[in-house]
This record gives sequence, C-alpha cells and structure tokens, in this order.
Amino acid sequence: MPTDFLLSAIVLTPGVVGLLLLATPREAVRLQRWVSLLASVATLVFAAVAWSRIDPANASFQFVEARTWLPSLGIGYRLGMDGISLVLVLLTALLQPIVFISSWRSIHDKVKGYVVAMLLLETGVLGAFLATDMFLFYVFWELMLVPMYFIIGVWGGERRIYAAVKFVLFTLAGSLLMLVAIIYLSFVFHSQTGTWSFAYEDMLRASVPMGQGFWHSPQMLLFAAFALAFAIKVPIFPLHTWLPDAHTEAPTGGSIILAGVLLKLGTYGLLRFNRPLFPEAWQRATPLFLTLAVIGIVYGALVAWAQKDMKKLVAYSSVTHMGFIVLGLFAGTLTSTQGALLQMVNHGLSTGALFLLVGVVYDRRHTRMIEDFGGLAAVMPLYTGAFLIATLSSIGLPGLNGFVGEFLILTGAFPRHPAVVAVAATGVVLGAVYMLSLVRRVFWNPLAIEANRSLPDLTWREVLAFAPLAFFMVWIGVHPGTFLSLSEAAVRRLIGG
Amino acid sequence: MNAYIPVLLFIVIAIAFPLITFVFAWILRAGRYDPIKLEPYECGNPITSEAHDYRFSVRYYLIAVLFVVFDVETVFLFPWAVMFRKLALFGFVEMLVFIGILVVGYVYAWRRGALQWV
Amino acid sequence: MRADLIALLPELMLATLAMAVLLAGLASGKARHGLLGAGAVLALAATGVTLWLAAGATDPGAHFFSGMFVLDHFAIFFKALFLLTAALVVLLSHDYLKRNDYRPGEYLALVMFATVGMMTMASGVNLAVIYVGLELMALSTYILAGYFRREVKSHEAAAKYFVLGAMSSGILLYGLSLIYGATGTLDLATLARVLASAKPGPSALVGVALLACGFLFKVAAVPFHVWTPDVYEGAPTPITAFMSVGPKAAAFAMFLRVFIGGLAPLAASWIWLVGVAAALTMIWGNVAALTQDNVKRMLAYSSIAHAGYALVGLVAGGPAGVNSVLFYMLVYTVTNIGAFGFVILLESRGYAGETVADYAGLARRHPAAAFGMLLFMLSLGGIPPTAGFMGKLYLFAAAVNAGYVWLVVVAVLMSAVSLYYYLRIVLQMYLREGDGAEPATLVAAPWTERVIWACGVAVLVIGLLPAPFLAAARAMAGAVGLL
Repeated sequence: MPTDFLLSAIVLTPGVVGLLLLATPREAVRLQRWVSLLASVATLVFAAVAWSRIDPANASFQFVEARTWLPSLGIGYRLGMDGISLVLVLLTALLQPIVFISSWRSIHDKVKGYVVAMLLLETGVLGAFLATDMFLFYVFWELMLVPMYFIIGVWGGERRIYAAVKFVLFTLAGSLLMLVAIIYLSFVFHSQTGTWSFAYEDMLRASVPMGQGFWHSPQMLLFAAFALAFAIKVPIFPLHTWLPDAHTEAPTGGSIILAGVLLKLGTYGLLRFNRPLFPEAWQRATPLFLTLAVIGIVYGALVAWAQKDMKKLVAYSSVTHMGFIVLGLFAGTLTSTQGALLQMVNHGLSTGALFLLVGVVYDRRHTRMIEDFGGLAAVMPLYTGAFLIATLSSIGLPGLNGFVGEFLILTGAFPRHPAVVAVAATGVVLGAVYMLSLVRRVFWNPLAIEANRSLPDLTWREVLAFAPLAFFMVWIGVHPGTFLSLSEAAVRRLIGG
Repeated sequence: MNAYIPVLLFIVIAIAFPLITFVFAWILRAGRYDPIKLEPYECGNPITSEAHDYRFSVRYYLIAVLFVVFDVETVFLFPWAVMFRKLALFGFVEMLVFIGILVVGYVYAWRRGALQWV
Repeated sequence: MRADLIALLPELMLATLAMAVLLAGLASGKARHGLLGAGAVLALAATGVTLWLAAGATDPGAHFFSGMFVLDHFAIFFKALFLLTAALVVLLSHDYLKRNDYRPGEYLALVMFATVGMMTMASGVNLAVIYVGLELMALSTYILAGYFRREVKSHEAAAKYFVLGAMSSGILLYGLSLIYGATGTLDLATLARVLASAKPGPSALVGVALLACGFLFKVAAVPFHVWTPDVYEGAPTPITAFMSVGPKAAAFAMFLRVFIGGLAPLAASWIWLVGVAAALTMIWGNVAALTQDNVKRMLAYSSIAHAGYALVGLVAGGPAGVNSVLFYMLVYTVTNIGAFGFVILLESRGYAGETVADYAGLARRHPAAAFGMLLFMLSLGGIPPTAGFMGKLYLFAAAVNAGYVWLVVVAVLMSAVSLYYYLRIVLQMYLREGDGAEPATLVAAPWTERVIWACGVAVLVIGLLPAPFLAAARAMAGAVGLL
C-alpha cells in the first residue's frame, strides 16, 4: 500500500463519508449507523497501517504531504506524522468506532446529524494532530468547534444549550488569540527571512525576540496567546469551568470524544508548539504552569470527591488527570514528557471507558446520581467487573496503564521539582479515595432501590465497545515500551534533549 | 477697484427701487378701508373659511414638485445657448442627451398619472 | 473623446438600460414581474460584458475626461462586484415583489441607477465626480428604502435615511469645499502632490476630518451608525440586503481611493481617527447586536461590525491592506446576501417572521435552507472553512504586517463575541423546537432559493480555495496606486 496519501486518507475519510451521508434520507438510520461505523473502522485501519510503516527512530515528520493552498502567504496543505502524532491518532481512531457502537441504541433521534457531526469532528481532530502547517492546524482546530457544539446542544442533557454555548465561547476566545499569534509568528518569520510561510518546520527556525518583561516581550506574548488557547482546551485550572458543564450535558459519545481526545489537543498543542517555538518563554512560565497543574490536581480531586453525579465526578477527575499531564510536560525531562504523552493515551482510554460505563447505567435508569444506585455488583456482575477495571486503570494500579503514566511523570519530575511532586502525589491518593468510594457506593452498598434489582447486565454490544479499551489498558500496563518507543525520538527532538 | 462700481450701483438701485415704489404708493393711494377691502382676495369671491382650516390636495405638491424639477432643469439650457457656437456639434448632442433624459422623466410622470387630476 | 466614451461605456449603457426598464415597467404594469426582472438581469450581465470589453480596450493607467475618471483594476474589481450584487439583489427581489404586490419597474430601475452611481464612485479620481456618483447612489437608495408605501416602517426608514443621509452628504460636501479652499484642487493626484509639498493648514485638516466623518457615515461606522438599525429594519428586505453590501462596498471604494490615494500625505493625521473609529465600530456593533431579537436589526448591527473589520484593512493600508479590503467586500457580499435571502424566505404576508424565536425548529422543517443559513452565520462569524474566515485572515494579516496588532486583538475578541449572536440563530434553528401553535415556515420562492444556493456554494468555494479570488483582488489592488 503506497503511503503517499496515507495521511490524507486518515484525515479525510471520516469527513468525506460524513458529508456523503448528509445526502441520505433521514429515515435511512440503519445505513447511516453502519456506514459511519465502517468509515471509522476504515480510519482505524489506515492508522494501523501508519503504525506498521512508521520508522520510530526517525524524529522528523513522515508520510509528508505538501500541496500549495494559498501561495501568496505561504500557506499549504501540509500533513506529517511523527511518533507523537501517531500515538494520538491511534487513540482517536480507536475511540471513534467505540463511540458509534456505544451510541448504537442510545441515540435514536436525528441519527443522521449525530453520525455526520461525529465524523466531521473526527476529521477535525485527526487533522489537528497531523497538520504541519500552522494555518492548517488552526483550520482543523476550529473545524472541531461546530460539530461539538451540535453534539452537546442537540443530543445533550437538560442544560445542553447553556453548556454548548459556554463550550464554544470559551474555546473560541482562546483560539482567536492564537490565530493572531500564528499570523504574528509568520510575520516574524517573514521579517527575518523575507519569505512568507506558515509551515511548522519553518516556524521552528524563526527566533522570536524575547524582549523585556511581559508586555514588551513578543515571545512571552505569543507564548501566552498559544498557551491560553491550549490551557482552555486542556483545561488548566482556573479555566476549567466549561468542562463539567460540557461533560455532564453531552451525550455519552460526546463525552467519550471530549474527554478522550479533545482535551488531548490542548496538551498536544503545548508540547508541539509552545515548547519548541518559544523555549525561553517556556522556561519563564514553568513555575506558573507547575503551580496551576498542582492546584488542578488537588482541586479537581477534592471537587470530584464531593460530587453526587457520577458523570460529574468523572469529569472532575479529568481535571486532575490533565493536571498530571501538564505537570509532566512542564517538568520538561524526557521521562516526564514521555510519561505525559503516555498519560494522554491512558486518560483517553480510562476516562473514555468510565464515561461509556456511566452511559450504560444512564441508558437503563435515566439517572446518574450515585444515591440512586447501590449493590449493583449482585445484579450486574459483568458490568461491575468492567467498571472495576476502568477504575483501577484510572487510579493507577500497577499492571494497568494509569500506573505507568503517573509513575513516569512523577519520577521524571522529581529530580527537578521535588516539592511539586510531593503535592501532586497526594492527588494520586485522593484519586484512589474518590474513585473507590464511588465504586463502593454504587456496587457494594445495600441494594435498596427496587428499580435496580432488575437491571440487565452488559449486552454483547456494550462488551464489544468496552473490550478494546480494556485490552489496551492491560497492554500499556504490562508492556508500555511498545508505545513509549514509538514517540521517544520525536519527543527528544521537541524538548531538545 | 473700478470693476466693482457696477456692482455697487446695482445694489443701490436694487434697494432704491422698492423703496421709491412704496413711498409713491403711500403718498398716492386713497386710504379708504372697509371690510370687503380688507379681505385677502380682493376679487369679489366670499371667503369660505380660514386658510389653515382648509386642506389642500396633495396633488398641488406633486404638480409643484414637477414644476420645480423641470423648471430648474431649463436653467442648464441658458449657458448652453450662450456657448452654442463654441460647443458646436458636441454641445448639441450633449444637450439632446440631456433633453432626452428629461423626456424620459416626463413620460414617466405622465404615464404614471402625475399630471392627471383625479 | 473616443477613449473617454469607451471608458464610460458601462455606465452609459447601464443608465440607458435602466431608463428602458423604467419605461417598460410603465407599459407593462404590475403583471410582468418575470419579464422585467429578466430584463434587468440581462442588462446587468450585458453591462458586465461591456465592462470586460471596455477594460480590454483601455489602458488601466490612463485618465479620461480631463483626468476625472479612470478605469484601473481597482475600479474594474469594484464595478464587477457591484454588478454581481445588483444582479443577486434583483433575483432576490423577484419573488418578494410579486408576493407583496409592488410594481417592479421603478424598483428595478432604481437598483440599476444606484449601481450606476456606485460604479461612478469607484472610477472617480476627482472629488466632484465621486460626489456625483455618491448622490446618484444615495438618492436611489433613499427611494428604495421607502418603496413599500403601504408599510409605516418603510416610510420611517426612508425618512430617517433621507434626512441623515442628506446631512452626511452636507458634511462631506463642506469637507470637500474646505479641502478645495486649502489646496485649490479637487483632483486626487494633484491633491496628493499639493499636500505632500506643503504643510497643510488648519482648514485642510478640518476638511479631512469632515470628509472622514461623511465617509464613516456612509460605511455606517460608530459613532455615525445610529441610522443603520432603523433603516435596515424598515426597508424592504432585498433592499436591506442591497444597502448592506452594495452602497457599503461603494463607500469603501471611495474611502480607499480618497484616503489611501489622495490624502495619503496626511495619513499621520487621519489614521488614528479611522483606527479608533474601527475599534469602536467593532466593539459597539458586536455588543449591540448581542441584545437584538429582531433578525434584521441584528444583521444591521452585524453589518456595522463588519464595516469595522474592513476599516482595519483601510488602516493597515498599502497594497496588502487594500487587497484585503477588496477581498473582504467580495466575501461579505456573497455571505450577507445569502443571509438576507434566508430572512426573505421566512417572511410572508401578514407574518413578519423577523424575530429570532421564529427560527425555532427550522432545521427540521427546512433542512437544506437551514444548512445554508448555518454556513452564512459561520461565515459572518469567521469560522473555517467558510469565506468569512479567509476574509478576516487577510485583513488581520495585513494589519499585523502594518504593525496594528492592538486593532487585530480587538477584532478577534469581537469576533468571538459576534459568534454568540450568530450562533443564537443556529441554536434556534437546530437546537430548539418551534413551540408556537403556528410554527414559521418558509415561503416558496424559487429564485430566492437559487440565490441562496449560489451564495452558499460561493461561501464554501471561497473558503476552501481562496487563492484565485485573492489573486484577482491582488492584481486589482496591487497594479496601480489608486490615483
């Protein structure tokens, strides 16, 4: 199989199929479900091909595609893949079919719109991971906004419209400043070389002046503009307030993608752009971001502990987990950065699984309140087992994926920032506390509520959705080297170590 | 400075002429008043009401506007007439175009019934 | 003489054909909507062809009529844009006029006369010529705004537009006369030379300030925008669409020509004025639009805001700035005409269909049209992959390049604000269900729908493949120095 158009195939397959599905009649629900599932599986196959063909020892972009688009400004359709993007593309491509399987029955209204929005969203995400042109990156970044708006707003819970609007405005406020920064960065490159370009590789060669202070330092300002967009997406405390709303109101599939993939774009952006483009500003901002990361870890854990709604609890646990990833990135060593990257995947798997499983009981009982459950272990043994695996993965039990990521982050960060690691470690403990107490209350408290006695266990379709996640949780937990080796060279190049 | 003397003369005459007229009228008139004499229209028709009680048809305004439009346009004909020899054929064609446009407007007003008193 | 007439041929032709349409409208009465509409579109198309031929037959650098008139690339771009706008508006109006039972003859002729005025504005390199074009355009649009005689709102719109427009013309004229008094010329090239050679006196500066006020009024920039919402709301909707793009683009053409061209030597004294006006326009236009429940008023404020964005390009100046304004005008034209087309579809007799709440659930009842409206709203909000995004990108790139980063930051923040109210419509269409007993439905209007389709396709094509359009705008703006 030639790899000339491999990346385009990965990026465009879902979107093109989505647009074609737009032309199908509203009633052809079966067709829409099957075709969207097949498109996402095809994308996964393409991603797997990329995995088998990539040379992990090579740190630069591979399978490069470059076509001119707006020649006057040096904007091009440039795609490229290195180890970092490969890992995240695999995660995205894996989660998408799971989303379709999980929402096979639960989404029954306006199915066409749902699958089209999901497929366009996938194209946006994959494009953002694979774009090697700043401008193209921005286009894909914004492309995600509209489908997600609809996914939350149309198929969401009661306060869905509020959540959808909040999500869009938060995201957009950050990203537009990033657009200015991208243009300015290109302008700096232009003034230094005399040619216009938006290519990522070219931007790496532009040295943005550091200047004095904050307001008179182009590099600090650009760093801030990029970091703001990404920090909102991650989200880094105190910009996280859109997240619980969006997660709680989004349908299960939307939550899986949101937590599993969209949040990763924030940390990916920090690693891909902020780190190599603005090295001095990165150094200067490190204390701030480490502090915010630690606050996020502890705050997210405490708030999660206090939640009565299972989905909100998982949402706040995301704040904690993303805090760990930010900590790993800004600690800056190879180990911690690799850990952060792995943790991005881990969080996608475990939180995706948790949202999936919360969605399972929500479909049956139409409530997510912890107090409405109890004693489910006796009624739904299969479900209990699955939930336990996801929980243990999330809290970092050795032998499962979460442990490896957190361990790498903390050990990588410890030599440079022991105090930060000490505080962050309490987050690990708190994580175990609130997650296990959730499990205890839902599965082992007395089976007091009549409606819970007759709950059916996981269907084969739900097992099918969960199984791949569990498979990768164990694989990464047992042999993380498979994935760490993929990204090592690329990470080394980005952190300049 | 001498060039302005005609202007000065013009102003003086312009002021003097009405003044003299008024003064002569004041001296010569009979000065006998009666109610009929004091009516606004001294033509024998009795007044039916006060002027501002009576509503004029909007058509008066339409006619008035049309009059003003076409009347003012003719102002352009004078300078053309004065310079006719110098402008020669170009001026002639130009003025034909101008009048042509006016005719279009006139036909439009006519056909839309602006000249009719319904 | 011959060359002069060739350069003026498109205007001459359109004016003649407009008179023909006017007279034909008399002869045929109310019944012949289709015939007259087709005639008007054909006339505009024929003028387009004539423009193309005239452009080929003349030298873009040459001056005509004793240096009063040019047919440079800048003028050709704008003229083509005006003809396109007028043709789209005529098509948009067809079903609307028929439905509301108004005579098409005068209406179409006035749209064409306004177009002649706009074309003259784009070609004038003499302040007097520009002013004549401006007045022809303005007088035609005053009447068009009040064309729906049976509706009070339309009367109000026309009266307000006329009084305020006349006042702004007066201010503008006063500015012109002061400039003439200070420099002794109305010719833009001479003006630039005179202003560059000597330090301008106070009367020239006051003249420039008054001129800027008049121009800002015409493009509906804050603080001279107050007429816009009322006029846009009251005017017949196709005319609102026309006013929001045609006369606005024409005003920008003259703004660029006069300020970047003739008044360039005084840039230091007017640039801050225009820059501050641009910032205020973006801020106030977007903030005020947030609270509007009437869609036409909301689009009016949105058009104020968009004038602010385009002013950013004017402030940026240089070939890149001019180029970006040209491109933005094209983008804004197709987007806004499409959006107003949708508003027209929603209106029907006895039912205004103008409030945001009327849009509830439209996506379910009319998926194709709603999708078009979604595209237009995203384009106005500047979200890729629509044309609006590319337009903004070029404006912002030009401004960043010229060193006006603060203005760009204001612009992007206000873009974020603007998305809130654009999304309100999307939200109503897609996320809410109509709850009233009688949900609004779209009226059947084949030509309006075709215009919407065309605009929707254009929005996507320009958004995805902007390179050829940009190249056109670049060739237009870059080739000559506007004088």
